[in-house]
Amino acid sequence: MERMAAQKPLELILARNLLTSISTPAFLVDQDAALVFYNEAAGALLGRSFEDVGRMSPEDWTSTYGPFKANGQPVELDELPTTRAVRDGRPAHAVFTIRSANGGKQEIESSAFPIVASEEGSSGAMIFFWPHDRSGRASP
Amino acid sequence: MRLKVWGARGSVPAPGPEMNRYGGNTSCVEITLASGEHIILDAGTGIRTLGLDLTSSPHVNILLTHLHLDHIQGLMFFPPCFRADADITIWGPASPEASLEDRVARYISAPLSPVEVRELPCDVSFRDTPPSEWQLGSATIRCEAINHRGPTLGFRITDGDTTLCYIPDHEPALGTVLADNEPEWISGYDLARDADLLIHDCQYADDEYPLHVGWGHSGMTDSLTFASRVGAQRLLLFHHDPLHADGFLDDLHAAARRRWAELGGDSASVEMAREGAVLDVEPVAAPAGISGA
Ligand SMILES: [Zn+2]
Ligand SMILES: [Zn+2]
Repeated sequence: MERMAAQKPLELILARNLLTSISTPAFLVDQDAALVFYNEAAGALLGRSFEDVGRMSPEDWTSTYGPFKANGQPVELDELPTTRAVRDGRPAHAVFTIRSANGGKQEIESSAFPIVASEEGSSGAMIFFWPHDRSGRASP
Repeated sequence: MRLKVWGARGSVPAPGPEMNRYGGNTSCVEITLASGEHIILDAGTGIRTLGLDLTSSPHVNILLTHLHLDHIQGLMFFPPCFRADADITIWGPASPEASLEDRVARYISAPLSPVEVRELPCDVSFRDTPPSEWQLGSATIRCEAINHRGPTLGFRITDGDTTLCYIPDHEPALGTVLADNEPEWISGYDLARDADLLIHDCQYADDEYPLHVGWGHSGMTDSLTFASRVGAQRLLLFHHDPLHADGFLDDLHAAARRRWAELGGDSASVEMAREGAVLDVEPVAAPAGISGA
């Protein structure tokens, strides 16, 4: 018999399967805003694959990768679009700086979408990333 | 627990002389608990003949995995529905869109049906499956959403020290590699783990699956890999494609046994569901006969 952590709800399993199959960098967080998966495209952006780091608490992943405000200060957990997506069940969009494993910084736009499958609230969120477009064009 | 298969076909009834041995009726399995009570899993066309077999004043619980037609089509032809002394409880997945009764009534109503649910002489009630375990007779039942098309459940039934798991429509391999994914990320894993008997979707042969990815069903090797990962002791391959005649299913069975042996299991513990088959399900002593990596 295999040892296992608590079974993930089906909607998170399907979300992970989707993220695995696309080349837009994306994170998957659970209902506690813990990072439970990111895809290869996100791994390329961050400089480390998810397999190397595994599940991370919100404190761990924000202190490792950011995001950081323009002044270099870390963004408060409560201000993160992921927190808002999970807690309020609302989408959120923001521009941040993140730090990759090699210390390089990158400005990104991120959109977080809550995953809601029951009346009890969201069971997590998907967060997609794009390099920040400085041309001033509206995002699609 | 004793189990009887009344319909093992998926998608649509497939009658015909070339289907005689495995049968053409759609999903329906009867469980007889140690206490003598009965639980019926799904109400495909196989439930019609099951109903003919039930004796006086039937009290039955029917557990519906989902409302695809091959899992409810027999309801309207279930003889106890037309008996005033019958007491029928139908359990199925909840939906924010409409009650279970209203969703089933889309089928048992005009113009698809000559009768309406409210006209049935039996005492019938519809219950959403609860999110936590519940008791039916001597059995503890648990259900979980699993990967199919549309909201679909699998059931885990434990009676005494015997556990059976029923997941007739399931595509756990969609978008992932079952052989090396972590257990917590495998649809249905927790539901099926260590079951003494797993009844599982095996709609397609391996060479048919690539043309049906995303249709909600499993190819043979994926069914076996899932069973192996969850440590199922015995596997009943179910939900046969309506195109699969007896000879084809014989060959698929032989291939499945070879594959199961390659996965480290006892080839005799893989069976093909056949209409009319009766199986006694008994606890298998640990350590598991086959277990995952
Ligand atoms: Zn089906
Ligand atoms: Zn189905």
